[in-house]
Amino acid sequence: MSSFERKPLPSSSSRLAVPTSSGGGSRTNDGGALSGRVLVRVICTAGSGALDYTHAFITAYATDHLRGALAQRLSVGAYELFSNALNFGSVSSDIVLELIESDTWVGVRVSNDAISARIAMLSEHLSKLETNAEQTYLEEFRRSVTGGIPRPMLGLARVTHEAGLTLDLQVQDRRVSVTAQCRR
Amino acid sequence: MSQFSAVQVPKTETVAIQLTAPNQVKLSGTITQKEPANDLAGFFKALHTAALADQLTEVRADVSGLTFVNSSAIRLFVDWATWLKNERGARYTLRFVTSRNVTWQKTAFMALMSLTKEVLAVEHVT
Repeated sequence: MSSFERKPLPSSSSRLAVPTSSGGGSRTNDGGALSGRVLVRVICTAGSGALDYTHAFITAYATDHLRGALAQRLSVGAYELFSNALNFGSVSSDIVLELIESDTWVGVRVSNDAISARIAMLSEHLSKLETNAEQTYLEEFRRSVTGGIPRPMLGLARVTHEAGLTLDLQVQDRRVSVTAQCRR
Repeated sequence: MSQFSAVQVPKTETVAIQLTAPNQVKLSGTITQKEPANDLAGFFKALHTAALADQLTEVRADVSGLTFVNSSAIRLFVDWATWLKNERGARYTLRFVTSRNVTWQKTAFMALMSLTKEVLAVEHVT
């Protein structure tokens, strides 16, 4: 039995969690939006408390389909992006989490609606991470020690520095898609 | 019996916790709940207080089997090291036993070490 089968399915608040395929070609890139085959798509309601189950499901799926270190990295990316969407996304629309692969890249994408202030904050933070992921990670870590304000954004810093994933932000109106990806 | 060994171990869904020696705690599994402090902050604080009362020179926290933790959980380890760093009297060394094969442990404890190196030690078992 694979761990995909052993692990519990996402909670009932998740409407869909199935291996799927979007078809289409694969596009390799260097930091742009990842396109390719969608291996798993999970759709859930903001604030639904689906984080633990969904993360366990994605981790199990990634572990089954990808080599161990890669699965660990994507597990971090999936958790932190999904957690941010649940915490900061609009409650009036769905959150979509996708595990995507192309021939050379693999990644996790989380899409949700957000208010413009949140989008601006996210964009600013991603710019900092793009400039120097390690320094930002250490800053956020230090902020955890001092408990400073604003709220620590250690999660996204973990995705880039710890998991070594490249973050890409796409915004269309209020719809935000953040993709964390790396070479296979 | 030492106070350290007598600390009540919390029951949590995803992480297994054992006191394996009078100065050693072992955690394995994952910590993914939104507020892990509810289960673990009091426990870590109790271990810290007990270690001081027992006048231990070293506490070993074996986290090598902790395969995933969220950012809130990392903060719990940061808090523990900070309590110790801020201790004015005799204090112990907090030695984290880690695995090189677990991604989060490499970066998190390296960063923690840079902030609290006077009270911390990091050991790799794999």
